[in-house]
Amino acid sequence: MTMESTKKVFHVMYDDDDKLMDAAKNLVGQGVRIKDVYSPFPVHGIDPVIGVKRTRLAIASFMYAMTGTSLALFGMWYFMIQDWPMNIGGKPSFSLIQNLPAFVPVTFEFTVLCAAHGMSITYLLRNGTLPGMPATNPDPRTTDDKFVMEILTEENAMDAEGLEAAVKGTDMMEISIKEYAA
Amino acid sequence: MADKKTYWSGLEELDRTPEFERMEAEEFPAERPVDQFLSDDRLQRANTGRRDFLKFMGFSLTAATLAACETPVVKSIPYTNKPEEITPGVANHYASTYYDGHDFVNVMVKTREGRPIFIRSNGDTGVGVVNSRVNSSMMGLYDGSRLMKPQIEGKESDWESVDSVVSEAFAGGGRKVLLTNTVLSPSIRRAIAVAAESSGVEHIQLDAVSYGALCEAVEADYGVRAFPEYEFADAECVVTVGADFLGTWGDSVRYSCGWTSGRTPEKGAMSRLYAFESNMSLTGSNADVRVRVKPSDSGRVLAALYRELSGEGAAVELDAAIMEDVKRAASDLKRAGASGLVIANDNNLSTQRIALAINRILGAVGQTVVIPSQPGLFQGEDKAYLDLVQQMKSGQVSTLVVHGVNPAYHGPDAAGFREGMAKVKTTVSTALVEDETSALCNVLAPRHHWLESWDDLMLRPGRMDIVQPTIQPLYDTRHGGESLLAWSGQPLDWYSFIRQTHNAAYVSDDMYRDNAWNEAVHNGVMMVDGAAPSAPVFSGGELTAALREANNRTGKGFELSMYRKTTMGSGEQAANPFLQETPDPITKVTWDNYITMSQGDMESMGLNTYIAQEDPASVVEVKAAGQTLRLPAIPQPGQADGTIGIAMGYGRGANSENIGRAAFQVGENGQHLLDADGNLVPIGKNVFPLADLTAGMPDYSALEVTIESTDETYPIACTQMHHTYMGRDSVVKETDFQSYFAEMDVPRGEASWNKTIGLNVHDDVNGDGEINALDKKATEEFDMWHEHAVEGVGHRWGMSIDLTHCIGCSSCITACHIENNVPIVGKDEVRRHRDMHWLRVDRYYTSDYSKERGGEEGEGVISTYAKMEKPSDNPQTVHMPMMCQHCNHAPCETVCPVAATTHSNEGFNQMTYNRCIGTRYCANNCPYKVRRFNWFHYPGYQKFQNFNPAQDAIQRMVLNPDVVVRSRGVMEKCSLCVQRTQSAKLEAKKAGVPLTDELVNCACSDACPTKCISFGDLNDPNSEVAKVFKNNRRYHALEEIGVKPNIAYLTKVRNTPNA
Amino acid sequence: MQQEASIREPLILGNKTYKDITDDVVGPIQGAPPLSWKIGIAISSTIAFYGVGCILYLIGTGIGVWGLNKTVGWAWDITNFVWWVGIGHAGTLISAVLLLFRQKWRMAINRSAEAMTIFAVIMAAIFPGIHMGRIWVSYWVLPLPNQFGSLWVNFNSPLLWDVFAISTYFSVSLVFWYIGLIPDFATIRDRVTHPIQKKVYSVLSFGWSGRAKNWTRFEEVSLVLAGIATPLVFSVHSIVSMDFATSVIPGWHTTIFPPYFVSGAVFSGFAMVQTLLLIMRKAMRLENYIHTKHVEYMNIVIIVTGSIVGVAYLTELFISWYSGVEYESYAFINRFSGPYSSSYWAMMTCNVISPQLFWFKKIRRSLLATFVLSIVVNIGMWFERYVIILTSLHRDYLPSSWSEFHATGVDVGVFIGTLGIFLTLFLLFARFFPVLALNELKTILKSSGEEQKRIQEEAKPNSKAS
Repeated sequence: MTMESTKKVFHVMYDDDDKLMDAAKNLVGQGVRIKDVYSPFPVHGIDPVIGVKRTRLAIASFMYAMTGTSLALFGMWYFMIQDWPMNIGGKPSFSLIQNLPAFVPVTFEFTVLCAAHGMSITYLLRNGTLPGMPATNPDPRTTDDKFVMEILTEENAMDAEGLEAAVKGTDMMEISIKEYAA
Repeated sequence: MADKKTYWSGLEELDRTPEFERMEAEEFPAERPVDQFLSDDRLQRANTGRRDFLKFMGFSLTAATLAACETPVVKSIPYTNKPEEITPGVANHYASTYYDGHDFVNVMVKTREGRPIFIRSNGDTGVGVVNSRVNSSMMGLYDGSRLMKPQIEGKESDWESVDSVVSEAFAGGGRKVLLTNTVLSPSIRRAIAVAAESSGVEHIQLDAVSYGALCEAVEADYGVRAFPEYEFADAECVVTVGADFLGTWGDSVRYSCGWTSGRTPEKGAMSRLYAFESNMSLTGSNADVRVRVKPSDSGRVLAALYRELSGEGAAVELDAAIMEDVKRAASDLKRAGASGLVIANDNNLSTQRIALAINRILGAVGQTVVIPSQPGLFQGEDKAYLDLVQQMKSGQVSTLVVHGVNPAYHGPDAAGFREGMAKVKTTVSTALVEDETSALCNVLAPRHHWLESWDDLMLRPGRMDIVQPTIQPLYDTRHGGESLLAWSGQPLDWYSFIRQTHNAAYVSDDMYRDNAWNEAVHNGVMMVDGAAPSAPVFSGGELTAALREANNRTGKGFELSMYRKTTMGSGEQAANPFLQETPDPITKVTWDNYITMSQGDMESMGLNTYIAQEDPASVVEVKAAGQTLRLPAIPQPGQADGTIGIAMGYGRGANSENIGRAAFQVGENGQHLLDADGNLVPIGKNVFPLADLTAGMPDYSALEVTIESTDETYPIACTQMHHTYMGRDSVVKETDFQSYFAEMDVPRGEASWNKTIGLNVHDDVNGDGEINALDKKATEEFDMWHEHAVEGVGHRWGMSIDLTHCIGCSSCITACHIENNVPIVGKDEVRRHRDMHWLRVDRYYTSDYSKERGGEEGEGVISTYAKMEKPSDNPQTVHMPMMCQHCNHAPCETVCPVAATTHSNEGFNQMTYNRCIGTRYCANNCPYKVRRFNWFHYPGYQKFQNFNPAQDAIQRMVLNPDVVVRSRGVMEKCSLCVQRTQSAKLEAKKAGVPLTDELVNCACSDACPTKCISFGDLNDPNSEVAKVFKNNRRYHALEEIGVKPNIAYLTKVRNTPNA
Repeated sequence: MQQEASIREPLILGNKTYKDITDDVVGPIQGAPPLSWKIGIAISSTIAFYGVGCILYLIGTGIGVWGLNKTVGWAWDITNFVWWVGIGHAGTLISAVLLLFRQKWRMAINRSAEAMTIFAVIMAAIFPGIHMGRIWVSYWVLPLPNQFGSLWVNFNSPLLWDVFAISTYFSVSLVFWYIGLIPDFATIRDRVTHPIQKKVYSVLSFGWSGRAKNWTRFEEVSLVLAGIATPLVFSVHSIVSMDFATSVIPGWHTTIFPPYFVSGAVFSGFAMVQTLLLIMRKAMRLENYIHTKHVEYMNIVIIVTGSIVGVAYLTELFISWYSGVEYESYAFINRFSGPYSSSYWAMMTCNVISPQLFWFKKIRRSLLATFVLSIVVNIGMWFERYVIILTSLHRDYLPSSWSEFHATGVDVGVFIGTLGIFLTLFLLFARFFPVLALNELKTILKSSGEEQKRIQEEAKPNSKAS
């Protein structure tokens, strides 16, 4: 049969986040695999339902922070103590530990600097949101007040008709089904 | 058969290899003909397309721009024939002698690449010490307004024509007069003699400021008309009636060091100084007892003293309070006996005779007052001069040669002189610049500057001081004596003439034979054997007339006493920016002349007594001796009520004579100000015309003066706007001699007058078994960081300043300015508190009010502080030199973001100019406020064009090549003359000797007349400064904030009598 | 979906839908600029140009064109610097600290507050630059390798700490702000029709598509950034205060400074937010999103911080007396009785007295009163810095070097100029940027929208039943 060979993508649109939520729960309950959800603002609680994993950005930022701290301390040790110690106001310039109090502020600031920027850059890269990137949301309204659920037939055991039926069963607003080659 | 040998150039030729044949063929390739090359029409077609054009254009533009970015190239041209004694980068020193008709000092002139750049006292054989007028006098040499050629009738000329004109005049009839300042040079006297005999030229001497009365008093009593020599070093009690002998009076360059040498408390005895005066003078500010008397009372004060000491003479009408002090002075003088000393300022015969008589009664004559057998300084003959003026007016004078004086400015009856000049046929001036007098002369025969000329000076019998040139004459000038010889028809070069004066057998160029002379030139002095002259004996008469006159002097309304500023003197160097910028030691005002009035008088007249950046002084109108002056009035603590003081030496160039650009007022944008009729505006007003001539000589006081306030105001540039030290006893420490003597031997820090400030510690340090408020540790012992040990590690440069010896003369300020190329910023910037003095002398007055008194009187703390801001009406004064304290824990260093100021391991707090980005954080964080910021580009910005030496092609030569001229936007400050220390190190290294005190010094310690500043290595136990640091008078300013300065002060000890 | 106690005042008035929110915010961007905006930008940019002129003259001639002198090395320059940095504290504080505390009312104001922060920090950064004698070598404050080999910067200097603090604070705030902006740019992108606008906003929106995963990351990043921005906010003004606290000058050498400066910063920052928002809500018709409740919340913050500042002033006075140190006590006596006492009393009235008026609910909720007082507060905070810097410097240890400070036209011109630049930037922002955080507001529409609350109220009984 020809039906098997073609793959379909369902874009189901809802006009309210709560409706989306219920629909998602309902569909997943029926064993439908929802690929993604496009929404104008974070719909809280949708992630576990459609199986989006927890992000590890926070861990990344902690690592960036540590890098910052050690860089700052190393730098100041090298500049002020190792490379060319100077007598500045009679302050000790012979070991990092003696001079540490004066180095705390810069260390802190540099830590924050690295953490914040490191994480932000990672965030943009992982999101694929970078200057000039094309938008991939199926419908412009999803950034305004509509919510779209994306379902792929190839990810689902259910065939297109079954899916369509299941989706139609929810309190949806519109549906668009496109075919695409594998 | 003979076989023919064949040779091959190689195997290749033998077996004709193809490449050999090819190369053989091409051995001499036919050149491609040029015409053929040129005829190639592709060349014709090659044209520059638009794009290429743009490319080339772009390239060349870029190239041009880049070229423009290059820093300007400064060419330094090496010597073609290097003078053997000059090594570029190494300074040469020449002994010479400074004499301007008033100050007489043996000096050592430092030259670099043949340019005199620093003048200091000649310690070895010298007499006198430099003051700011002397150590900045090389500015006269570099003055851009100097005459570069002789002139006749205002047109540039040459010496031949000048000589012909003047010799003609000398040959001609009528009176021919040579008017000079006091001539001390035997050679010039010889030249004058020549002129006298050859052409009957008369010689008249005139001093800028007359001491005629004193000289005549000596003549009356001892038969020789001479200015006495005073030995302040031997005096135990000095009484001065108006004479500012530490600043300007008489031979002050010799008095200041002498007087302070008698005031070293460590010796266990100190001389005492009584000052009876109307203006607050430098001397008065150093007096132990200062009494405010009106000028008209000065005679009475002396009469009263005379009466107290001799018992003779009529009773004297004097204010009871003054009488008290007179009695005290009298008793101290009695005690001192032959070591007493009385001097008076009035140029008034009777006053001076009484003063002399008192010294005689004390037996001081011959001891502290030495009557010379022959005249030395101040031989001015005012009467002869006044007669001359009359004859000039009546047209009897045909020729007048003026040398070294400026009668049209300072002369008695200057107006008459000007009038007379018009009637004299030939008037000649030898002035260096076109000053007031030479502007009236029709022949200008400019003489050398003293730094360019040979001279011999005989101050007193027995020694001849030598002036030697330290630089080639900059312009087409000629020594005055040489001119005189030429005009009297006996031309001879001046050097040989001088040599002949002292060695009749002199033949030219015996440079390598006459060792005596060479040695004399080297030392700057030659001891000549004159028969020791017998001291003049007293032949004087009785005093009743003098006493009567003294008693009868009365004033009406205000009384004016004219004075000379320590910086300006009598105004010869009015165009010297260093002197103009140096604040007056008392008022701390720069660049100006003004009227000093007592605070009370000003308040009663409703004049502004709060003078600050935006609070100008009120201008008042002074009427005296038929003259009217408008000058700003400033409140002067210590000014006698009902009196005013005005400085002489101002108002130079009143008819815009070209006496130098710095002598005139400039606007805020740096342009010279012009008055209504387009003349330059002189700085201040000339008060010489106010002098009283009734006695045939100028008496520099006016006893009938009226003052009216006007609605004008005038901005005053003062480097110090706050005058009391607000009871901050960790800044200034002072005590009186009794208290010092009582605790003379207690260890440092324990004496009541120099308690080390202690901080409480939580530890039983005083060992009374409990920890309480009594457990204190000296701030010195606190140390947040024990790193960077300073004791005993290498050199550690330090300085000590003895407040007892510092008289506040400000000689150090000019020396510092010149040594370190400190920018001159002018009046407007000083008014904005932006003076650049690396070293300043803080002057504090005592206040009637104190926290204690406030407490007793139940005064609120706010009003107490408010009252403490007002100085007493007759305050005691402290002079405190303040420069970078080179703290070992310097607050300025820690805050610099770019480490532009750091600590050297020799104790210097060093400033790296080219690293500085100019945040001014260091200056803010300096407790002593000694850091100075380059607010503008001083060497280039228009605002400073008319006085900053760096902006004048010639004056720039005064800059010290060892010190960089700082760029705009960087911080600068005292470096303790690190450049001198560095070169001293090299010297010591070359000589292989240890670096001792003799080798190192700073400009200020070098210039200090009283040697109150000593600089050296604190780690060298034998150094002066290390010894001084052990002194129990030693303390550090603001000790309790723990910045650990390397500069120390010695507690000021006054010898005030216990009431 | 979480519910909110019905007694709480709604944060969004009227019956708004998600679409309405978008319309209210994006609408103005599409339409032509109103006349008021044109006039505003004309005036502010003129002032800005004048200021730039003054700055160029300053750089060309020398610091001497200011009124500073050998004793007073800093006056208006650093006063303005601290003042602007202080103002720049509100934004990040609002978006970071209030985010951590889950304060929903922040959402209406944080976008513009952050914008204000960033512009204020830019203004602040101008002054440390131009106050340098040699601005052309200002890059020397960075630890760069250079031809002098071992020539590094001095990490002991509070000024260097400033360099790091300010640059970190600025860049982090900027990133924080922009990450929040991306989804809203996307909203605009998908809405605008004009090709150029579409192009511009699609570039600005970095191709944001609003996938579930993106939103998770978005929230995570916002949270973490807030977490590290919070200590940053406090550290920045603490470090600025150390410029003074670590010195030896009486009146500067004060350990109380860090907390005192931080609260002062929040104080002035909120005041500035008030000033700007009260204008903007009228100009941009945002009365439904920014209204009395928000103003009241901010006024409460102003009372608290204002009172902290007041306590700090009194503590200073007490300690200066209690220390028994001659110089310290005189420094403070001079403050309130010396030549510059007028500034001191201006500061006292504006900063200590005026905010206390907010204890009255009427005043606290009156927009007009708030507007006036917010300006008063910022005047007061300017004087605070002026007093601290000038009165401590002009009479310090040695009476001989005591002096006065008289501001010149250039001093004033530069300050006014920065106000102009600041306003210009803010007007541009208001015109072309989403002035409200769309995506955030939409999340609270249901919990805090007025209409929605009413509906919930009615739904209450049944919900109880079920």
